[in-house]
Amino acid sequence: MSVAELEAREVGLEGPSSGLWSEAWRRLRHNPSAIVGFVMVGTFVFVALFAPLIATHDPLEQDLSLLNGGCCPGPSAEHWFGVDALGRDLFSRVVYGARYSLLIGVVSVAVGLSIGLLIGAIAGYAGGWVDSLLMRLMDIMLSIPGLLLAIGIVAALGPGLVQIMIAVGVTQIPIFARLLRGSILATKETDYILAARSVGIRGRVILSSHVIPNSISPVIVQGTLALATAIIDVAGLGFLGLGPQDPSTPEWGTMLTDTTRYLQTAPFLALIPGAAIVISVLGFNLIGDGLREALDPRFRGRA
Amino acid sequence: MLRYVVRRLLLLIPILFGLSILVFFWVRALPGSPISSILGERATPALIQQYKERYGLDEPIYKQYVKQLRAWSHADFGTSIATHRTITYEIKQRFPATVELAVAAMIFAISIGLPLGFFAAKKYGGLFDHASLFISLIGISIPVFFLAIILKYIFAVRLGWLPTVGRQSVLIETEHPTNFYILDAIITRDWAALWDAIRHLILPAIALGSIPLAIITRITRASVLDVQNEDYVRTARAKGLAPITVDQRHVLRNAMLPITTIIGLQVGLLLSGAVLTETVFAWPGIGSWLRDAIFNRDYPVIQGGILFVALIFVLVNLIVDISYAIINPRIRYS
Amino acid sequence: MRGIALKAILALAACAVLVVTLGNSSGSKASSTLIFAGAADPTYLDPALASDGETFRVTEQMYEGLVALKPGTTKVIPKLALKWKSANRGKTWTFWLRHGVKFHDGTPFNAAAVCANFNRWYNWSGAFQDPSATFYYQAIYGGFKHNEVSGLQPPLYRSCAAKGQYKAIVKLRKASGTFFPSLVIAPFAMQSPTAMRKYGADQGELRNGTFRATGSYAFEHPTGTGPFKFKSWTIGQKVEIVRNDKYWGQKAKLSRVIIQPISDSTARLQALQNHDVNAYDLAAPQDIPTLSGNSSLKVIKRPAFNVAYVTIHQGSGPMKELKVRQAVAYGLNRKGVVNQFYYGTGKVAQEFMPPSLYGYAKKVQTYAYNPTKAKQLLNSSSCHVPCHIDFWYPTAVSRPYMPDPVRNFQGFQASLENSGFSVTPHSAPWRPTYVAKVNEGSAGDLNLIGWTGDYADPDNFVGTFFNQTTANAQFGFSNASINSLLLKAKNEANFAKRVALYQKLNQQLMKYLPGVPYAHATPALGAEKRVHNLIATPVGGVWFQYATVG
Repeated sequence: MSVAELEAREVGLEGPSSGLWSEAWRRLRHNPSAIVGFVMVGTFVFVALFAPLIATHDPLEQDLSLLNGGCCPGPSAEHWFGVDALGRDLFSRVVYGARYSLLIGVVSVAVGLSIGLLIGAIAGYAGGWVDSLLMRLMDIMLSIPGLLLAIGIVAALGPGLVQIMIAVGVTQIPIFARLLRGSILATKETDYILAARSVGIRGRVILSSHVIPNSISPVIVQGTLALATAIIDVAGLGFLGLGPQDPSTPEWGTMLTDTTRYLQTAPFLALIPGAAIVISVLGFNLIGDGLREALDPRFRGRA
Repeated sequence: MLRYVVRRLLLLIPILFGLSILVFFWVRALPGSPISSILGERATPALIQQYKERYGLDEPIYKQYVKQLRAWSHADFGTSIATHRTITYEIKQRFPATVELAVAAMIFAISIGLPLGFFAAKKYGGLFDHASLFISLIGISIPVFFLAIILKYIFAVRLGWLPTVGRQSVLIETEHPTNFYILDAIITRDWAALWDAIRHLILPAIALGSIPLAIITRITRASVLDVQNEDYVRTARAKGLAPITVDQRHVLRNAMLPITTIIGLQVGLLLSGAVLTETVFAWPGIGSWLRDAIFNRDYPVIQGGILFVALIFVLVNLIVDISYAIINPRIRYS
Repeated sequence: MRGIALKAILALAACAVLVVTLGNSSGSKASSTLIFAGAADPTYLDPALASDGETFRVTEQMYEGLVALKPGTTKVIPKLALKWKSANRGKTWTFWLRHGVKFHDGTPFNAAAVCANFNRWYNWSGAFQDPSATFYYQAIYGGFKHNEVSGLQPPLYRSCAAKGQYKAIVKLRKASGTFFPSLVIAPFAMQSPTAMRKYGADQGELRNGTFRATGSYAFEHPTGTGPFKFKSWTIGQKVEIVRNDKYWGQKAKLSRVIIQPISDSTARLQALQNHDVNAYDLAAPQDIPTLSGNSSLKVIKRPAFNVAYVTIHQGSGPMKELKVRQAVAYGLNRKGVVNQFYYGTGKVAQEFMPPSLYGYAKKVQTYAYNPTKAKQLLNSSSCHVPCHIDFWYPTAVSRPYMPDPVRNFQGFQASLENSGFSVTPHSAPWRPTYVAKVNEGSAGDLNLIGWTGDYADPDNFVGTFFNQTTANAQFGFSNASINSLLLKAKNEANFAKRVALYQKLNQQLMKYLPGVPYAHATPALGAEKRVHNLIATPVGGVWFQYATVG
């Protein structure tokens, strides 16, 4: 038993009536941090979806003539964020980079979530030796710190965009597995489940109509936070050189790799993609945090 | 109580065993061989074949695993291909460096996070609350390597207040009995070395500490909020005790409990963050060691290093769980 | 509560002020200490057991060989040997030694010491015969007195005799053109036999397949004759060497040199910008404008001693035909690539070895970029336009001769497509697969690779590339004429004849076109402007002997 599980228990105990959701939404709306978070994420998603319309240049197009004075010309009217070491427009690259980050985040979390929830559901519901075995497997995965596990997977699979998505997704499996299992265990023992069982309602029905709805809120919270973590971990892997091998790919983390040497002469090359990462990740963290607070039954009845 | 401890210790065995198998096969699944990495263009096919024979990579895999287990039982964790030094030696040199960094990072995170969370709870819903949340979340929203680079650039390269790399200025001559530089300096009463070690520690500690900072702030805030509304606190206030006394004697003390358990969970995040932070600051710890080893395909280092890190992580979690069980008896019987 | 917060803020502010005012110790005043940043820690300070440049950078200050390269050039000059003569068709070498030289431990340098060193290498057994222990010895001399490991060549060395104090006669089993030039390199420096005996220089073991020296000589008591002597080595942190005041030649100006490993090139750059170090090696080419643009820093260039080339694998594809190979040579826009992607540090290569090395032919067939001619050649061959080829390049790497492989590839791909080829790109990360693939010939019809010379001899270039085994594996060809010329040149003891042979070989190579050389790059070091007379050698070393700071 760990604190994460305790937390999962506490949040998942109350069944979500429509009252909880609408109240949570109301609290969220009045939470300034969460609102800021929504704005940030909204901008991020908007930019990612409409990148071709927003970008001013082709992110891959190199204009080496701009670099005749050495690296690198800064922001100008023609190039809003300046130009990178290969003469590519930084603004367009950052805009397209939002697409990559969104894609990476969503895919990684989808991988981690789906597999993790499956494992957690099986473990929680089946119990017994199945539960023990699966949880020991999760323990083994958790015994290697996240980034190292991801590095290890990428080292074995080879570097590349798809590989880092898989690697980061895999590191998130144990978290979701434990979360759902904890929720299920907590719910299984409540009185109304026992009552339902004694009346003869089938396990599958109980699972779908009681257990799963109870567990959704912590999963949503964790999913949002996992999205934030995924974007950061992928940037870290890109920084270590394990990301997409084609350096023309406008992925924010990879864009940071070679720009630190220009901090004295062209600091914007590193600062702008870095700021983009921070804003999008911060947005998800703010929303996740706001959600956690909004859904926390402990704060019911308080202004 | 004893039964719980014993049960947890026994559970350790299958986990470690599973880990060793996992790491063993993973290392062998890595494409390529170390010799081509180290010799670069000089690696002829003949040399690579010689290497395969020498390392016994031609033998069937179960034989290799048995050989490996036997070596581990003699506390022989291998020799680094790149530096020719034993893994045990390198760990002895590098682990204190990472521990020192991690401890400094935690000190930073706790000394900022605790008061921040406390006051955020006190002024719940107000501007300070939201501002402190924002600040602490920025900590986990900035990739740690980016923060490290920015800090280094501002405070070292631009302002020149602090050094850019390493644990100690090369101009300082001093003894290192424990390899914890701050401790060593105190033991040998070398105050210049102490000051130098602290100066080198500041930036990496802040960068690394930004990760636990957010969580400590939030947990402190949450638990203070919880405790504040407990009956015994209300009783204390009703009794007429001054607010400060109430805070010190009841609120703070009880709010600390979840924080101590969180510290154990932070170890994993610190170790991950250490890989990136140590790389940026050329800090000679386990993180940069592993990163270099993975890039150089230094198999023995990767294997020994990851196992070691996992072992530490598992042990720390075990200690945390046991101490939590001591504090909270309900847990033992789950 | 407010009070506490206020006090905390004041305390923090006070700390910050303290940090700033008491901070920053490193030298902004003139000093006789030079701090140098390399990329990694040395392995052993016994150069005979090492093969990495980081070790040699340190040992080349403490040890000397019988002969040396004039600093910054590839010209052989006397060092511990004043005169030398070869006889018996290059199988016997006589060295007349310098008088009055002492090792750092006070013992005399003489003919007995020279023979002790040669015999030490020859008599190595057990773990020392592993290539991870004695790479360079095996590369030049082949095997040992008793070869215990399979795959070792028969030994080149026969014996060494000391005739008096200052005359040593070395006998080889067969003539070798590489023996003499190899004496300049770090592993073959003269070490103190007394110290080696005393501190267990020949104690070592093979642990988990890797060689480990177990005596203390290689870690704590390296003893040579050089202008600097060993002070201390904190493993992983720094090596400290101090001036040898009893040196036989021009004494060093610096009293102390500290060499510090910083593995990340950006961190090295930042350490220099922050004046934490006075100079550093292996500057990334992209940083050269940054260094030049900084008013307190400068760039020190190494003379080019490398070559980047495009392998042409003849195998079973279209490359077997000379016309197709010629079309490749005319279809590569080498000048364009070198101008655009070498950041001002590159020069187009016309031969497979650098111009500064003897044996470089004065006139060879050249192939200026000419898409029309390339198309003509293709159409008159069996691979008509478009001729389909596979072209491999490495990723995740920057080599001294090829700082930007990906862009080199993109430039070449574009020019080849213009010249009637249809290029299918393939890539693999440098570590761990690319080099192996190139070496074994499984990297397509064309691939990018190169070489930095170890020592100043053409055999280290063309001999490495085109010896029978490699020619077959990497390039997929077997040419009797080239092979016999190579062997003849390698074993020719007469220097002038050797030079002529290598020149002829280079002309033949550029007609036969086993590949297309395209660049020589000048790697650079970064340094503070106030560092003077720091010399960078072509083969990768640094001379601190004449350097000063401030």
